[in-house]
This record gives sequence, C-alpha cells and structure tokens, in this order.
Amino acid sequence: MQSNAQLEYDYSVVKLFTFATILFGIIGMLVGVIIAFQLAFPELSNLAGEYGTFGRLRPLHTNGVAFGFTLSGIFATWYYVGQRTLKMSLKESKFLMTVAKLHFWLYFITILLAVVTLIMGYTTSKEYAELEWPLDLLIVVWWVLWGVAMFGMIGMRRERAIYVSVWYYMSSFLAVAMLFLFNNMEVPTMFWANGAPSSAMHSISMYAGTNDALVQWWYGHNAVAFVFTTPIIGMIYYFLPKESGQNVFSYKLSVLAFWGLMFVYLWAGGHHLIYSTVPDWMQTMGSAMSIVLILPSWGSAINMLLTMKGEWGQLQTSPLIKFMIMASTFYMLSTIEGPIQAIKSVNAIAHFTDWIPGHVHDGTLGWVGFMIMASLFHMAPRIFKKEIYSKSLMETQFWIQTVGIVLYFTSMWIAGITQGMMWRAYDEYGSLLYSFIDTVTVLHPYYTLRGIGGLFYLTGFLIFAYNMFKTATSGRVLDKEPANASPMAS
Amino acid sequence: MDQETLMTIAGYGKFFILLFVFIIFYGYAFSIYKRQKTGEKDFEKYSDLVLNDSIDATPLEKRDNSKEK
Amino acid sequence: MFHWLEQRPFFFAVMLFLTVAFAGFIEIIPDFAKASQPTVGTKPHTVLELAGRQVYIKDSCNACHSQLIRPFKSETDRYGMYSLSGEYAYDRPFLWGSKRTGPDLHRVGNYRTTEWHENHMMSPSDVVPGSIMPKYPHMFKNTADVATAYANANTQKQVFGVPYDKEGMPKLGSWEDAKAQALEDAKKVAADMKNQSVKDAVANGQVPEIVALIAYLNSLK
Repeated sequence: MQSNAQLEYDYSVVKLFTFATILFGIIGMLVGVIIAFQLAFPELSNLAGEYGTFGRLRPLHTNGVAFGFTLSGIFATWYYVGQRTLKMSLKESKFLMTVAKLHFWLYFITILLAVVTLIMGYTTSKEYAELEWPLDLLIVVWWVLWGVAMFGMIGMRRERAIYVSVWYYMSSFLAVAMLFLFNNMEVPTMFWANGAPSSAMHSISMYAGTNDALVQWWYGHNAVAFVFTTPIIGMIYYFLPKESGQNVFSYKLSVLAFWGLMFVYLWAGGHHLIYSTVPDWMQTMGSAMSIVLILPSWGSAINMLLTMKGEWGQLQTSPLIKFMIMASTFYMLSTIEGPIQAIKSVNAIAHFTDWIPGHVHDGTLGWVGFMIMASLFHMAPRIFKKEIYSKSLMETQFWIQTVGIVLYFTSMWIAGITQGMMWRAYDEYGSLLYSFIDTVTVLHPYYTLRGIGGLFYLTGFLIFAYNMFKTATSGRVLDKEPANASPMAS
Repeated sequence: MDQETLMTIAGYGKFFILLFVFIIFYGYAFSIYKRQKTGEKDFEKYSDLVLNDSIDATPLEKRDNSKEK
Repeated sequence: MFHWLEQRPFFFAVMLFLTVAFAGFIEIIPDFAKASQPTVGTKPHTVLELAGRQVYIKDSCNACHSQLIRPFKSETDRYGMYSLSGEYAYDRPFLWGSKRTGPDLHRVGNYRTTEWHENHMMSPSDVVPGSIMPKYPHMFKNTADVATAYANANTQKQVFGVPYDKEGMPKLGSWEDAKAQALEDAKKVAADMKNQSVKDAVANGQVPEIVALIAYLNSLK
C-alpha cells in the first residue's frame, strides 16, 4: 500500500458512535438525576407504577452511563485515535469498514434492548452485569467485532511503533472480554424447566454465594478499571498532547505507568469485600494492592499535567484544555480517594454508605465524563470539518458542570461519613444510639444537594449536546484540518 | 492435600511471583532510562506519533510489510 | 525485550493478557472449593421462596438493602449474628448488595412478621415514618412466576447438585408436585395477611408476588 494524496481518514463510524455517546449520555444522566431526587423525595418513586421505582431505574442509570455513554465514547475515540496513530484509513479495507459498521449497529440495538429489559425487571442482580443471558450473547458478538476491527486496523498500519494510547484500548478489549465472560457464566433455567412454563429470559449464576461475590467484585472492580480508566487514559494520552501541541512530558513514564497499572489493577478487587466472608488474606491483599495502585495512576496523571509545562497559558485561552486538565485532576482525586477507602479501618465506616457513590462519581463525572466530552469536542472540527459552534457555551458548560461535581461529592462525603458514624454510635449504657431510620432522615439535605449537583451536570451535558449539534449543522466550514488547537467561534 | 497446605503453597507462590515481576519491572525501567541516556534508543520521539498523525505524513518508523506479522 | 514486544501486536496482546489475568487466577482459584461448603443446617430455598427471591431481584431490592452482616458489635447488635460464608452456599446469584440505603436484611426473618411486611410493602412511610422506600402496591396485583422458580430450583438440582429431594431437605419433584407445594406454602403465608384480594387470589390457586416475597423474607434467618 502506497500512501496517496487522495486518501483520507474515514470518520463515518466515529460520527455514529459520537451520536450514540450523546444520546445515551442524555438518557443515562437523566435517569441518574431522577433517582437522585427519588432518594430525597420518595414520592417520585411511585409516579410510573412498578416501572418508575428506584430499584428498576438504578440499573438503567448505571448501565446507561457505563455501557451506553462511556462505551460509545470509547468506541468513537478508538475509531478516531486508532486510524490516526496507526496511519491507516478504514477506507482502505471494505472488510474492516463492514465490521465497524456492524459493531455499531449491534451495539446500538443491544443498548436499546437493555433499556427495555431492565425497566421490565429482567436483571441478574449482579452489579454492572445486570443484563440477562440473551443480551450477554449479543454483547459477546459485538465485542468480538470490535476486536476484529481493532486487530485488523493494527495489522494494516503504516507506522511500525504502536502508540501508548492504542495499548490502553487493547488492554481494555482484552481485559473486559475475560472479565465479562467469567462473571457472566450463567445457566438459562428454561432448559431444565421439566415442563413448567418458565421464562426464557431467566438464568442463574454458575457460582454460588461467596464465590459468586468473589467473581462479581473481581469483575465489578476491574470493569471499572478497564472501562472507566484505561481507555480514558488512552484518550488523554492522545487528545491532550494533540490539542495543546505539546510533546508528552515523558514517554518513558507513560510506558512504565502502563505496565504498572496493568499488573496491579486486578489485585485490588478484594477491597470491595472487606469484612465480608471472603478469606482474610484476600481482603488484606485487596487493601494493600489498592494502595500500591496510587503509583501507576498518579504516574499517568502527573505525566499529563507536566505535559502542559510552560504552556499553562493555554488553560486560560482554551476551555478544551480546561476540561482535560480538570479531568486529570479528578483522576488524581479519585485514585487517592479509592485507596483511602480500601484501608480496612476506613472501609469499616465507608462501606455500604453514600461515600461510595460519591467516590464513583468523582471518577465518572469528573474524569470519564469530562474527558469524553473534551475528546468529542476535539474531534468535532475534524470529523465535521466545521468550526466549534460556541466557545462561550463551552466555558459556561465547564463551570456549571464543575460546580455540579463539587456539590455532588461534597454532599456525598458528608452523607457517607455521617451515616457510617451514626450506624456505630453507642450511648453511655452500651446500646445503639440511633435507629436505622434516624440515619436515613438525617441525609435528606445531602440527598437534595446531590440531586441539584446532578441536575447541574445534566444541564451542562445538554449544553454540550446543543453545542455539538450546532457545530455539525451550522458551524463555519473549515477549508483545512486544524493541526492542534481546535478552532471555535466565540 | 488439605486446604491449609494448599493455601501455604499459594502464599509462597504468590510471594515469588510478585518478587519476579517486581525485578522484571524495575529492570525494564532501569533499562529504558539507560538506553535513553546512552543514546541507544530515543523513546521520547514516540510523542510525534500524536503530533504528526495525518495520513500522508511520513511514518516515524516505516513498517516493512513483507517481514513481520 | 519489551521493545520487541511493543511492535508485535499479537505477542503484545498475549503478554498483556497474562499480566492482567494472572492476579485473578491466583486470587480466586484456591478459595473456590472451600467457600462453597454449606454451613450445617443451611437448606436450599423452597420453590415459593425462590419465586420471592426472583421478585426481590426483579425490583432490585439489593440496590438498597444488603444481606451481609459484618463482624462488628454495632452490626451484630442491630441485625443479629454476623454472616458466615456457608450460609450463602445455595444463593445463586449472591445478594450481598453494596449499599445500605435501607437496613440489612440477612436475618430479617428473625424480627419481622408477615403482617409487618404486608403493611410495609404497601406503604413504607406509614409503618416507618420518614422512610424513603418506594411503595410496592403492584406486588399485590402481579402474579409471582412460580414456573420459573421451579425451573430455577430444578436447574440447581440437575446442574449444580443442590440437594433438593434429599432427606430433611425441601422437596421438588415434578412441576405439578412443586406447584401444589408452593400453593400450599403460599396459603400459610396468606393466612397471616389481611389484604382480601391477595387472599382471594391464593384461594383461586394464584400466588401474588407479595406472598412469595414475604415467604422469602421470612426465610432469611
């Protein structure tokens, strides 16, 4: 294959996934805001009969943002970063193009089906693996398609060296495949119904009790790692240097942080089961490894911050850089917060409380959300060949969402610690000081505040969606692809 | 073999594997910094994969399609 | 060595996979055999209880309620004896939960009655002022899926060797036997309930979700 002047990168699949990111982002975050307010105002739980209760909507929220919003963001950026750093175009292969398109459509259908089945109550109850077995099979199909596209693209590359971002995407593909397969081992019960008119959707886990919990949290923790962390690091390693025009501060550090993260991350899953009935040594190992995990996480984050060395002025002029630096900062925050919660004595208070969703949302809203939105903003002028519609809207969005996140995590920190302390408070006669309901009613103001924080973030996301839509439809047409800083109209 | 011995073996196994990985990892870290310093190999140039990524740009290390897989 | 690897995607992927995977194998495998031994006295769920467990899962009760009592005095004082691994030997899937928006339920059968649950599920805030739990009136109307519960139990028996139909263990038998047994169990629960439409439904051979759910909650001890 000789490179010829006519050849261009093909962004049609990128555009499809970008659309899906925005669509599922709106759905997932909207449901999130609804369930946040349901905890503050429980009447909201009964507006839509059985289909509107907190229990039915919560899996919808988690699956919507994790597998709807985040995964489509990952796929969109993969087909963009992948082509560009490998210097190959999907146009060069009809086969890969077909695979990528099929990947999108099967994925899209799966998520739509997920929305329907979760609302109807088809769930396996295992967190982040709620979907029932027919959907699991569909997921396997498009995950394999993604793998085929990925390795096919790598196989066709012109560039011999593979950039570190691509490593992160590869790790995500491999690890999630393994985790997903083992955790979703399940037996459809219809085959042993013995003549009973049983449901075809129902399945039971291959593992029982403590073993099931062990596998589930091995999955649960690491799915977080390989959906919410590694591909997002892949994004920042590409988009931050590209947008700012700077070299990565230290490529060597990025290589070391990569292997360090790969090695340590899976050991840390045990921290979800501290003080449970899993063996002691595993809990201790989970704690210890969670702390070691700070090193590779901060390795990457600091590497990103130092990439901006001498160019901090860009932070003032470009809201896009702001998003990425803020994302990196939240990544540091949540990767120090997580290990703290994994320390056994802290975990005794924090586990089962609202501090845990607080921690998760630092990471997801601040790190994952900001990074994906920044990536899409960066890609927009290149895939649509138009100028970004409005810089001031982007600024507004940035501040609204930042305030939203701060409201979210501060209220949940206070709520979590309050609750954890109240559960264990004794009076002078040695009896429990508070009944359980006391520890619920006391949280009302924090739940309200959290809901408002979520609403801010959702508002910001709608502004983002509008800005992207206007960029695609009525942005000023660019005659040439911008090299670094993305052009934006004031 | 009872549970106890199994766990002990697993414990020792784990310790030595960790030690092994630890040595490899730090050995690798040492080697890339050394190679950078002696000029044997420049790792920092790979940043250009991002900054110079248009499809008609000259590849940093051109791939010889006939040789490797 | 690594540099060689980094330009060969296939071997790179293999190496990457091994690095990522082996922690899991070391962590999980040695313990697998041990944890699955049931504690003395632990019995598999009856078909009616399983139907209730499916309702519990369907409405994601585990999103807000844990079933795991940690070994702290503040927890054993509040919820009872701390949880043992073997007590979960027949739980597929496990329902430990990860968040206590509401209280732990692992031993709720020890201190709540059928009547309490009936009133509470209909309108939690009337029973516990200030409660933020949703109301579940639909459970009084929907019919529990006993057939799937039977398939569930039979799968456990056939595929995983769960000791149904053994001496001192719950009986399963054929679908007709199991159905009759579940209905009989349901009648016992309904006898303690006040809601007339639920009682009528059970008398007519139907099992409303609420009856199955209460049977399950009462079995948590």
